[in-house]
Amino acid sequence: MSLWTRVQNLWQRKRLDEEIEAELAAHIELSVEDLTRGGMSEAEARRTARVRFGNPGVMKERVTSADAVLGLDVWWHDVHYAVRSLWRAPLLTVVAIAALSAGIGLNAGMFTLLNTLFLTPPTEKDPASFVQLYPLYEGWFTGAGQFPIFTTPDYEAIRAHAHSLAGVAAWYRTSTFLNGGNQRLDAFMVSCNYPEIFGMGAPQLGRYLRPDECKPGSEVQVAVLSDAIWRNDFGANPQMLGQTIRLNGLPLVVVGVMHPAISPFLPSGVMMPYTLQPRLEHGQNLLTSTGTPWLSMAGRLADGATGRTAQAELTTIMQQQDRTYKAHDTKAVDRKTNVALTDGSFIENPRVKDKVAGLMALILGPLSLVLLLACCNVAMLFLSRTVLRRGEIAVRLALGVSRARLARMLLVESLLMTGVAGLISLPLAYVVPELVLQAMGAEDGPPQVVSHPDWHVFGFLAAMIVLATIAASLAPMHAAWKLDLLSALKGREGAATMRSRMTNSLIVAQVAMSFVLIAAAVLFVRLPSIVRNMDAGFETRHLLEMSLDVDRSTPESRAKALILYRSVEERLRALPGVESMGYGTVTPYRLTPASSVRIGDDTATEGKPAVVNEVSLDLMKAVGASLEKGRFFAAGDVRGNAVAVISHAFAAQYFPGIDPIGRKIVAPDGKRLTVVGVAADLRSQQFGMADGPRLYTLQGADERDGNLYVRFSGDPKAMERAVKSAVMAVDPTQTPWLTTVWEDMERTAESFESLARIVVVMATIAMLLAVTGVYAVLSFVVSQRSREYGIRMVMGADRRAIFRAVLLRSSVKVGIGLALGLALAEPGMWIFKQVVANSPVPIRVFDPMLLGSSALILGLVAFAAMYVPAMRATKVDPMRALRME
Amino acid sequence: MARNDLQGSLDLLVLKTLAQRGRLHGYGIVQHIQAASDELLQVEEGSLYPALHRMEQSGWVSAEWALTETGRKAKYYKLTAAGRKQLSAAEADFEKLVKGVRAMLRYA
Repeated sequence: MSLWTRVQNLWQRKRLDEEIEAELAAHIELSVEDLTRGGMSEAEARRTARVRFGNPGVMKERVTSADAVLGLDVWWHDVHYAVRSLWRAPLLTVVAIAALSAGIGLNAGMFTLLNTLFLTPPTEKDPASFVQLYPLYEGWFTGAGQFPIFTTPDYEAIRAHAHSLAGVAAWYRTSTFLNGGNQRLDAFMVSCNYPEIFGMGAPQLGRYLRPDECKPGSEVQVAVLSDAIWRNDFGANPQMLGQTIRLNGLPLVVVGVMHPAISPFLPSGVMMPYTLQPRLEHGQNLLTSTGTPWLSMAGRLADGATGRTAQAELTTIMQQQDRTYKAHDTKAVDRKTNVALTDGSFIENPRVKDKVAGLMALILGPLSLVLLLACCNVAMLFLSRTVLRRGEIAVRLALGVSRARLARMLLVESLLMTGVAGLISLPLAYVVPELVLQAMGAEDGPPQVVSHPDWHVFGFLAAMIVLATIAASLAPMHAAWKLDLLSALKGREGAATMRSRMTNSLIVAQVAMSFVLIAAAVLFVRLPSIVRNMDAGFETRHLLEMSLDVDRSTPESRAKALILYRSVEERLRALPGVESMGYGTVTPYRLTPASSVRIGDDTATEGKPAVVNEVSLDLMKAVGASLEKGRFFAAGDVRGNAVAVISHAFAAQYFPGIDPIGRKIVAPDGKRLTVVGVAADLRSQQFGMADGPRLYTLQGADERDGNLYVRFSGDPKAMERAVKSAVMAVDPTQTPWLTTVWEDMERTAESFESLARIVVVMATIAMLLAVTGVYAVLSFVVSQRSREYGIRMVMGADRRAIFRAVLLRSSVKVGIGLALGLALAEPGMWIFKQVVANSPVPIRVFDPMLLGSSALILGLVAFAAMYVPAMRATKVDPMRALRME
Repeated sequence: MARNDLQGSLDLLVLKTLAQRGRLHGYGIVQHIQAASDELLQVEEGSLYPALHRMEQSGWVSAEWALTETGRKAKYYKLTAAGRKQLSAAEADFEKLVKGVRAMLRYA
């Protein structure tokens, strides 16, 4: 039978019924006619015909079923039936649909966000031809493999020789200061065909960059603003074109404003020709440097070129470049390059691939747990209902419904529910990304991520729904499948059959999953206060941290830089409130890799890891580190430069049990140093954790390495302003980045707070789901076993004993759930530790405080959920319970 | 052949009847099979109508409402091209079955 006939039959059911009736009636009439013609009386003929024909009702059903064999009709019946049975328990349906919508909506929304941020190529125009180029270096400078970017000569070679690419754009992103303020702004230094390669469409004001503006030697200083910058910093001024803005003191004429529609693909910032780099950053000239890679590259495949041919050609070009380097530049002598092509999405970036995948797992993992919890709840609610409905199901089975058909009926029920929940969750998928971004409070104003769920997201949503359906219907199906017909029909199932192992494992699973989420919430909620309340080992509110942008690439520029530093120092010293200052190469709360330090005089011994901080004479005083033994650096040390101060941890680890004063060590640069002092440990690398072994070495008299640290008294804000104007009085092009260490920590704490808010919301949802689950199951069990409690009471058990018994029974499950949650949380914690490995957040893989407090929270809440049903068990009236027999 | 064993061969009988008589209603088919088989075969209505509807869904027969010679409305069935094909296939199958059964009986 064709599908169309079946579908038609669906709507023509009534007409079809009438037709079959008419046909069968005609048969009887024909038969009566025949019999009367044979001489029978009409009444007798009719009776005979009827007897021969049999039961017309049964006949009609059989004929109908021949029409509807394998038909949609049966499904239609199931859907009808499902709607009816869902309607009959409205509260349950609403709760279940709400739980599922929240679960699916959160997941789909989060996936929409991740999809936009990580998985989507950064262009809307013909993404299939868009490729991003990643060079993979070997044998160049240390860590070159970590930088999949190109040097200027490499970019020029590819631009000139690559035929497989129809065009190639390069860009470099750096942080600058706008108009002498303290606000950081991203500068996008791009090749002038960047808008074309990225398919940016037309600008909303003015124009993009012209090709001549990127010609080497071009002095044109122009910029294009992103929509967000134009709105946030310039009040969407329609007269913006032709105005001059200053980035790092460099004047730029605004020639255009980008269209807001492209903002999801491009972070907000200011776009300008890449040839302006040396004028924007005084510290280094990347444009003419042959040894420093700095440009990212993307292009469009030429007609007929495939990713594979392009990759082969680009690798050949780059290897030709390797040979050129060999001939000219000794530093790059062993460089070997391969080129990888990707679709440009963030996750395909070889440098961050593992991390992004880990991050996605971390974000989606807990969310999937929420969905699973929701499914558990729905399953539990359905299961309890299936058990309550076992009489009805038994009757159906007795009437000959096959168990498969029954299972299908239950499946349709959950499918209907998850379908409705999926529809409801669709708007959530749109709203959630914006809420998350708002909660995260991204730094450069609100990012305008336009979330347009595409097929990735719809696919994800569909998979979620299917998963939810299967999960939600498995348990009830199982229960219906193994229903013992006879005892169910008699309505006398023993308590043993009733105690479903399934509900028990569901409770355990729910507790375990919410434990994971609560542990995550506790972790994040604690982070800000860890950052704020820790004792750094030095005073942080009145210690200013400042970096200057100074070119030190040549001897002449170094001499100029020294003059600049000296006059800045002079002016700062004259400021009222400034107490002391010094330079240090290790920035607090930025992870500095350890170098290898050899202990003793022998250079052949194995190096020990220690973080080396090259400091100026007064830094220790400025920071306020306390001395444990010996002395700090003195003015006389600078000339010989052969002394070192070590930290307490250094002494304890590498000079155990001996006095380190006077001992020799060899610094990573090969200098032999004598230890003259031991400083107390600081907590300046990870929040709340004592620093590992540290070595302080002394900078030369004319060196000014690292950041300048200024110890002052008085109001921090006023001091920041004073310092800034002092620096700009010396050099107006300097826009120093300055902050107190405390403010820096506070910013970190705030960013954790916003993250914590998101996690707490998720954990709260999870906990509510778990509590409803525990409560529902326990009250169901209690109501099922009221007879047993009645008998126990008649036998003399007092109410307290029953209360304890009920509580104990479920406490065991909660306990198992907690243990299982621990087993789940630990690997999650481990992944998290890997992802944040470079941040100053201390993550302990096994943290008894964290796990203990999470267990306590969950335990208390679970107790609250168990309390009410347990109380109800004690209120069972023995007489009524026994009469129910 | 007893009444209950007709199941497998019912389709064949109905198709053959329609091939011989052209257009016929359900009651007519019952009568025809009974008469043609010298009262040996009796088709049960309970099997016939589901079979007719199944064959209609399969496209072997087509149906239309028409008046009988006594002026009564009845649903008439007619063989389609697909039905004719099905009939020859069913006949061939039946021949094979009969041959097989005969062979078995000889050796039993």
